[in-house]
Amino acid sequence: MALLKSLLNRHIFYNTPRVIIPAVRLFSTDVKPAEDDAPADIENPYKKERKQCILCKLNIKPDYKNYRLLSQFQSPYTGRIYGRHITGLCKTKQEQVEAEISKAQNCAYMPYYYKDKTFLKDPKLFDPSNPVRSHRF
Amino acid sequence: MPAYEFAMMFRAMPKSELKTCLKRVSQAIFDRGGIIKNIENLGFKPMPYKTSSHGLVHREANYFVLKVDTATQAVADLKEEYSRDVDIIRQRVYKVQDETENSACTLEEEMLPPAYREDVQKMIKIGKTQVNRFTYKFKYNSGLDYYPFQK
Repeated sequence: MALLKSLLNRHIFYNTPRVIIPAVRLFSTDVKPAEDDAPADIENPYKKERKQCILCKLNIKPDYKNYRLLSQFQSPYTGRIYGRHITGLCKTKQEQVEAEISKAQNCAYMPYYYKDKTFLKDPKLFDPSNPVRSHRF
Repeated sequence: MPAYEFAMMFRAMPKSELKTCLKRVSQAIFDRGGIIKNIENLGFKPMPYKTSSHGLVHREANYFVLKVDTATQAVADLKEEYSRDVDIIRQRVYKVQDETENSACTLEEEMLPPAYREDVQKMIKIGKTQVNRFTYKFKYNSGLDYYPFQK
């Protein structure tokens, strides 16, 4: 019965005259020229902001007389300077910080083997236990 | 005349003595044709480590920074003179770096994965010009009729 029905349907569908819709679409207003409709030439709005290290962002030049800032890059346990993968500084700034710290230590502004206890509660610029690159310490 | 910074540490002493000491120190600079632009007093404070000089151990010091313009030849002379001064515990001289315009931060390039970093690419390029000694095999048809290495 179902087969008969489908056959009948197909026969009728193919043989009945149908309305042919033309490809041209009709508008009540004038069609704009294509140039106006072209995509606007703008900057990529989704472009990410350029990453900068904290000293470059705030435009700070490390100085051996500013030993309070320098002591923030020093370990409170051993007095050693944290590496670039922990401090998150760019290469040039890290080099400058290391040079200035050794200057400050030489001038007896900063201790070699510990961090000045008055600076222990200074705000943390980075988290030593969460480095950019993993390390074995 | 290039700019120098004299970081000086004077022994603990009363203010009047410190005054004469500073005068003596600056007079030495003037005698050699130098100019003092600024004298900074960083205060009297305990030193982070004890320092012995002229037969005494010092645990506190008067910190001063002198900003000086002087001839380069005079600096060694001044250092020698200050080293003989009993009131000066410690002295360091640093040349002031001229203010160069700071280059852009390169952190973005440094955070890229290794294959995209310029210095790593350079290393790979150099490595390709070298003989890899782990995979290098001596060729017997090289003209030598004996094996040149220890077997």
